[in-house]
Amino acid sequence: MTEKVQNINSSEYGASDIKVLKGLDAVRKRPAMYIGSTSVEGLHHLVYEVIDNSVDEALAGFCEKIDVTVHLEGSVTVVDNGRGIPTGKHPGDPKKRSAAEIALTELHAGGKFESKAYKISGGLHGVGVSVVNALSEWLDLEIKQNGEVWTQRFERGVPKGQLTLVGKTKSRGTKITFKPDAEIFETTEFNYDTLVNRFRELAFLNKGLTINITDERTSKEQTFFYEGGIVSFVEHLNKNKNSLHPKPIYISSEKDRISVEVAMQYNDSYTENIYAFANNINTKEGGTHLAGFKAALTRTVNSYASSSGLVKNVKESISGDDTREGLTAVISVKLPDPQYEGQTKTKLGNSEVKGMVESMVNDALGNYFEQNPSVVKKIIEKAIQAARAREAARKARELTRRKGALEDTGLPGKLADCAEKDPELSEIFIVEGESAGGSAKQGRDRHNQAILPLKGKILNVEKARFDKMLASEEIKILITALGTGIGTEDFDIEKARYHKIVIMTDADVDGSHIRTLLLTFFFRQMPQVIEQGYLYIAQPPLFRVKKGKKEKYIQNEGELENMLFELAADEIEIHNGKLLAGKEIIPYIRNLSRFEKLLEWFARRKKDTAVIKALLHYDLNKDVLKNKGDVQSLIRRLKGEFPDISEDIKEDEEHQSYRIELKREGLRLTIDDAFMTSPDFRELSSLFTELRGLGHPPYKLKHNSETNEFKSSRELFDFILSLAKKGISIQRYKGLGEMNPQQLWETTMQPDKRTLLKVTIEDLVKAEEIFSTLMGDQVEPRKEFIEQHALEVRNLDI
Amino acid sequence: MPGIRRARKDSKLLMKIKCPTCKKKTEWQDNPYRPFCSERCKLIDLGAWASEAYKIESGLDDETGQEPSEKEIHND
Repeated sequence: MTEKVQNINSSEYGASDIKVLKGLDAVRKRPAMYIGSTSVEGLHHLVYEVIDNSVDEALAGFCEKIDVTVHLEGSVTVVDNGRGIPTGKHPGDPKKRSAAEIALTELHAGGKFESKAYKISGGLHGVGVSVVNALSEWLDLEIKQNGEVWTQRFERGVPKGQLTLVGKTKSRGTKITFKPDAEIFETTEFNYDTLVNRFRELAFLNKGLTINITDERTSKEQTFFYEGGIVSFVEHLNKNKNSLHPKPIYISSEKDRISVEVAMQYNDSYTENIYAFANNINTKEGGTHLAGFKAALTRTVNSYASSSGLVKNVKESISGDDTREGLTAVISVKLPDPQYEGQTKTKLGNSEVKGMVESMVNDALGNYFEQNPSVVKKIIEKAIQAARAREAARKARELTRRKGALEDTGLPGKLADCAEKDPELSEIFIVEGESAGGSAKQGRDRHNQAILPLKGKILNVEKARFDKMLASEEIKILITALGTGIGTEDFDIEKARYHKIVIMTDADVDGSHIRTLLLTFFFRQMPQVIEQGYLYIAQPPLFRVKKGKKEKYIQNEGELENMLFELAADEIEIHNGKLLAGKEIIPYIRNLSRFEKLLEWFARRKKDTAVIKALLHYDLNKDVLKNKGDVQSLIRRLKGEFPDISEDIKEDEEHQSYRIELKREGLRLTIDDAFMTSPDFRELSSLFTELRGLGHPPYKLKHNSETNEFKSSRELFDFILSLAKKGISIQRYKGLGEMNPQQLWETTMQPDKRTLLKVTIEDLVKAEEIFSTLMGDQVEPRKEFIEQHALEVRNLDI
Repeated sequence: MPGIRRARKDSKLLMKIKCPTCKKKTEWQDNPYRPFCSERCKLIDLGAWASEAYKIESGLDDETGQEPSEKEIHND
């Protein structure tokens, strides 16, 4: 190994490469000028300075292992397997000293000042190992080179004797042991973790280099070696995060003796975590390499975002910050002549680097994006999210800015507040619409009921399509009236001005939309209001029923039906062999109603209900479709009843049965396993069975001592309903505005008569999905949802 | 019938919910951003309210003309 490495070395690293400069005294006088400080940072700087020399050997390709030992009494040893500092006499030195001695005693004497010996050099803080020597109580140097072992000792920078040949060896390298001078440093205690972090970083930055640390004080030992280099570094940084893509993106290129390496990987957090290094130095203040990288990333992401069409529906533009949200990246440049600027000299100043890094990252990232569309999509979506959040934060701030239609009291002018100041006793009605708001204001109990009229904003999207929304101004008014504030930081449930918040909207479609919007808003942005049990929905009556002078308010359709059935049952008798009368008729009427509604629903879907009814009468065996003979006899029976019917029989392999497709007068019906086992048909069958209690048609019904006969259940039902409705008038309220203030008070607001529906979180969790679907941008899932839901509703809404 | 009709008894809310913004599964309990997964997602939602991005289609181009949201709240 050693032989081979030496042969590669074309330009000899000899004594003449060391330039002679002077003045170690200055270092001891003003140490902070050379190592930043004499505090714990400065102390550790000594180790970095020494190890950087070894890393430089590694960068040049002559060293692959560095051992660092922290000794019990406070000294540190750094051993590498590099070429060893040159031991020969320096040709230009009048004192005939060795090059090694000069390197350790003269400021700014190092092979690094001539780019010939080291193409790239790391620890060039402008100091070098001579500074370490000057600031050490003592320093022992051992060099193994060309089969010989040389040693020299220094005390506070002063050589104690010459560089001396002490023995022979088969290995090579440099070993430096030094003890920081307690006269100089405020502390001489090395911190293991600080050293470990730097060594790990160095191992990451120098692919293939092994750094081993042993702390004799604690017997701790760790070895760092990363085949993946900065890719491993990024993986390490993202270790406990959820990455958006499995492998870090790696870019590497070299041009004009400047090498650039970038590794980057997004995670699902929102923080940016970018480390930029120049010649292994952590350039904490950034600089031209970082600027070049950022410019290229912003440009590439934006150009792919627009060409991919992913930003079509996005109003916000993607900023540089947006592209770096959740990004972990390591940028490492190595260049021959770095210039450092900034407060702590940790900002790379070389202007040529920016353009280089930028064009290189542009090209490489462009290629990567081209080849990894799925990763790009995630990155762009993440950036869009970031842009949205930025925009959302701006908008949300506007919402909480206190201005607009506020009174001197700080309350909105639209709010008709109550006199009561105790929130526990106060109620607020959020009322949709101006006229209803007016009625509510007049009808309320001013003592403890406040009214806030809200109106939904209507957006004319297309002809015949109006979208409903809550204007931001209305939301602002709502938040102000409630007094709670909004947002994670500012919301305070303790400040709620009312402990009953009642949503009171019309019973029509518009009203339900406004209610949906309000509930969603409360659920998402003020869930505490619901958790505390403050949120209610008013239950205004849907009908007013008048019979003679008597008036009754009816809550919903079910209740109305019940009332009608009761009225009818009082007046009729049904003869089915035995006599049915009074209350015992009610369940039959209810089943009749459900049966007819279900049939109607089949009819609306263009199903042949006459045939369905016939099937019910046949009282089919559930296995009728399994047997060809049974199927044929079923068809014969149907044809007897419906001569114009045409049929098509197919095999239903999946159910080991037959499928009959019937056609008649433009109506169709498919009888198969799916139909027979469908909930709708099953329910119809069971209702039909129940209704057998009424006897068989013609049904005989006695009313006012007069007996009527009905051929079908439909006719029977219609007659009963018409009887019930005789002499009564039913008014359906379409809006709260149709009630006068007195009626609104009596039916909906008066505490001892009203019904309020308390909203619970559990209800809303289930509803949330519906809200999302109803309010989303995607049309397809919404349509699908409405259709599905319509099916459920059909069974419930009877 | 006066009084308060409660839809359902409150039980301990140990449920998982879907963040309305990012659709990620998240906890209800001990989550300061509930029903969202993060401050970020909650903020995006608030921003959407503030910029009037939420709307419900009122055009009844659907043949059923049903209004599902209402049922969800009333049933029980």
